[in-house]
Amino acid sequence: MIGNIIKTSVVLVIGTTMINAGSFNTQAEKDRKALVSYFMKKFSNPAKNKTLFPYANSKDFENLMPVKKVEDFRLGSYAYNKEGRSQYDEINEMPPYEDNVDAGEELYNKTKGIKQCFPDPTIAGEYPKFDQKKGKVVTISVAIDNCLKANGQKPWKMTKGKIADLEAYFASKTKEAGKKVHITIPSKEAAEAYERGKKIYYSQRGYLKLSCATCHVQGAGNRVRREVLSPLLGHTTHFPVYRLKWQGLGTLERRIKGCEKNQGENPHKPGSQWMSEMLYFMAYMSNGLPVDGPDIRK
Amino acid sequence: MPKIKLFLAITVGIGIFGANAIAGDANLVKEGEKIFNTKKIGNCLACHAVNGKNINNPGNLGPKLQGLSAWPKQALYDKVYNPYTTNPTSAMPPFGLNGVLDDHQIKAVVAYLKTIK
Ligand code: HEC
Ligand code: HEC
Repeated sequence: MIGNIIKTSVVLVIGTTMINAGSFNTQAEKDRKALVSYFMKKFSNPAKNKTLFPYANSKDFENLMPVKKVEDFRLGSYAYNKEGRSQYDEINEMPPYEDNVDAGEELYNKTKGIKQCFPDPTIAGEYPKFDQKKGKVVTISVAIDNCLKANGQKPWKMTKGKIADLEAYFASKTKEAGKKVHITIPSKEAAEAYERGKKIYYSQRGYLKLSCATCHVQGAGNRVRREVLSPLLGHTTHFPVYRLKWQGLGTLERRIKGCEKNQGENPHKPGSQWMSEMLYFMAYMSNGLPVDGPDIRK
Repeated sequence: MPKIKLFLAITVGIGIFGANAIAGDANLVKEGEKIFNTKKIGNCLACHAVNGKNINNPGNLGPKLQGLSAWPKQALYDKVYNPYTTNPTSAMPPFGLNGVLDDHQIKAVVAYLKTIK
């Protein structure tokens, strides 16, 4: 009898914590599911959803491949951009980032404090994280920066160089382990940070008054000049990337800087609250997708 | 009601073009074309193909521009100045409102748009 009560209360306790833990991400889950169903509808058969590509002509539709699985969005626009995809597959036969992964491994083993801060390197899918003690969002770049500072080291640039190499190592270990993006929203404060990030993403920015969503939600699959726009879904899964344009590796923060300039905006600092909260929102949208970094992009 | 009147007054106010500045001015058309096709200025080709003109890899975030020669100059001016007046959810930047293009530049762009069949 008592045993039964205990069992029931344990079940209840677990039950309520689950409800509580669940409740902080209720809105985020709704948003994520809506986004997944929007993109699956849009891309499972682009030619059948012409209203979602209002200005595309028949040649544009010929270049749009159907996307069958939600996981494919980790490839960005190469999930549906036929021409881009064949170039991507070609370059991927000899990935140009392998030296960066090796350099990252060496940094991991030799930089004072790093191994202690990150005993498990398969963590690329866990960031950004909401740090309950600090009451703020911590991105992987910020976590590395904090670790360097705590160990009396000179900080690294957050856009390229050592930090990109180390993040490439984390990403490749995470990918090897078959792990997925797993972003949590553990508290009310975290949910508020998520909401602020979402608001940033959907607001018109810069003197061109474009929002990120104009190009990467409604605009995804359409073109700016020749560039086929990639979807928000999957945007954070594969960084850092080796960009042909950069002739090198860069972090997510570096990539976003370029887009902010496209909006006519003065880019925000990597590591700022603005950047961290936007990345928190973006990464949550990719929850459940496989970690797939590092990768290559044009 | 008074609001509508004020709005009309403003529209008409902007509407008084320097008539001889625009009329058939080939240089102005050229200037407008350059603004349209230059990344650092109008960069309109990022989003628009143009009927009957040879544009280098135009985007398709906006419609292919056609039949604009039939539009009143004022409607074209308003569209480029602030597309939200006719389409509050437009994805097109408000080039006048945001100060990217000045009055003269918009008039040049309008002169170019008027050549689009
Ligand atoms: C004017 C259109 C435009 C706007 C606005 C814009 N971007 Fe982009 N973005 C692009 C283009 C073009 C590319 C390169 C092609 C692609 O992968 O989409 C790109 C690429 C990206 C990528 C890399 C995708 C990948 O898989 O490598 C990310 C991440 C990104 N943008 C985020 C953002 C964020 C965040 C914002 C808002 C702060 C934003 N973008 C606003 C046009 C835009
Ligand atoms: C970021 C994308 C973008 C850029 C850049 C852009 N436009 Fe647009 N434009 C649009 C969209 C989307 C529409 C359709 C919605 C609307 O009418 O507001 C449009 C509509 C138009 C129309 C009306 C066409 C019609 O048939 O109804 C004209 C004219 C026009 N744009 C001219 C320009 C000019 C001139 C420039 C540059 C100075 C420019 N656009 C730059 C996206 C853009």
